[in-house]
Amino acid sequence: MRKKTWTSATGVLMVVLFASLMMGGLTSCKSKKKLAREKAAAEYAARVEQAKKTLTAILDGTTGWTLDEQQKQFDTIKSYNIDDPQVKDLMAKVSEKLKGEQAEAARKAEEQRLRDQEAAKRKADMEKFKSLNDAFSQIAQSATYDGANQRIQQTLTLFSTPEVPVLIIIDQQQGFNDYDRPTTIGKFLNYLKDMRAYKFAVESVKKDAQGKITELELIKK
Amino acid sequence: MKKVAPVLLFLFVFMSAGPLLAQDNLSPARKQAIDSLALEKVRDLSKYITIIGSKTTPWSEANRVIDRADELFMPGSQMGVSSLLHPKIQYYTVRKYFERLMRLNYNKVEIEWYKINYVSDLQRQPDGTYVGVITIFQKFKAYDKEGRLLYQDTTKKDITVYVKRKQTQIQGRMIGFWDVLLGDIRVKETSK
Repeated sequence: MRKKTWTSATGVLMVVLFASLMMGGLTSCKSKKKLAREKAAAEYAARVEQAKKTLTAILDGTTGWTLDEQQKQFDTIKSYNIDDPQVKDLMAKVSEKLKGEQAEAARKAEEQRLRDQEAAKRKADMEKFKSLNDAFSQIAQSATYDGANQRIQQTLTLFSTPEVPVLIIIDQQQGFNDYDRPTTIGKFLNYLKDMRAYKFAVESVKKDAQGKITELELIKK
Repeated sequence: MKKVAPVLLFLFVFMSAGPLLAQDNLSPARKQAIDSLALEKVRDLSKYITIIGSKTTPWSEANRVIDRADELFMPGSQMGVSSLLHPKIQYYTVRKYFERLMRLNYNKVEIEWYKINYVSDLQRQPDGTYVGVITIFQKFKAYDKEGRLLYQDTTKKDITVYVKRKQTQIQGRMIGFWDVLLGDIRVKETSK
């Protein structure tokens, strides 16, 4: 009988102990989840705050970042999928700003490319037409009328006739040339003698079968 | 329908005229190029006048330069001539002025133009011509054979400039160009 009582008491104790262990474990698990939730919420809030700061700084232009760096930051924030109306509003504004700046940067890069291309062409032309440009400069630099006239006669031998047309570009915009009133090579060479200055560069020449110039295009420097 | 027709007509006329109006509005860069071109023509004239007036210029060269200088002007343009010795301003056609200048009865003549600037910007007229006024200051000095200064004055002159878009055929193709022509040159004031 004593043995039976002992056995049932031990059983009850075991059940209580087991129940206590189970309860304790459940409570600990619940608090860990809560902590994790709280931590995640805090991290999200911090991320939202950081996103707002970053986006505002990009909008104000105070980041000091390059356009690419700004775009990377924007893409990172976008990947967070933050569901916050203020962040969404800022993202829309930043997206528009970056698009505008990228378009402007592309336009400037294209302009620079065209300028470089033009400069390279001009340099190549200068080399190509060096002897002709030199001949014109020498006429302009002649100290006497006789000296200038002699050089004019020499230079005219490069042309098919003294009436060869000379076109002078005064401005170039998007591949379109604005010209001064056309003149002839005879008049132009005398003009150089009178002005004592050569402020042009040869842009193009046309030649006949004998290699004589039949049309000259100059550009104002 | 009767009310809609005038509106449609207006829209049609407006849209047809659009491209023409757009062509009339020169970009600032093109306008600047034309402004510079007109100033350059006045500077060219200044050099030509110095050459024509100079007693060291050979006769044949002076006559050739007169032809070039004359080509800068609208037909019939006049040049005002003043003197501290005569109160009245005389006006001559530009060719007559150049010929008189070449024959001035001094041993040495120095003519210098300076402060060449727009006094009135080029403005587009209804016929498409751009008209402006450029002012210049002319320093005139005349010497005898001993090199003594016999006469000098400084004259402020206004030059009307006309710039028009024209076309010409060069070796079978049409070339558009800006034609700058100078008009009357009027004396504004003369001083010692």
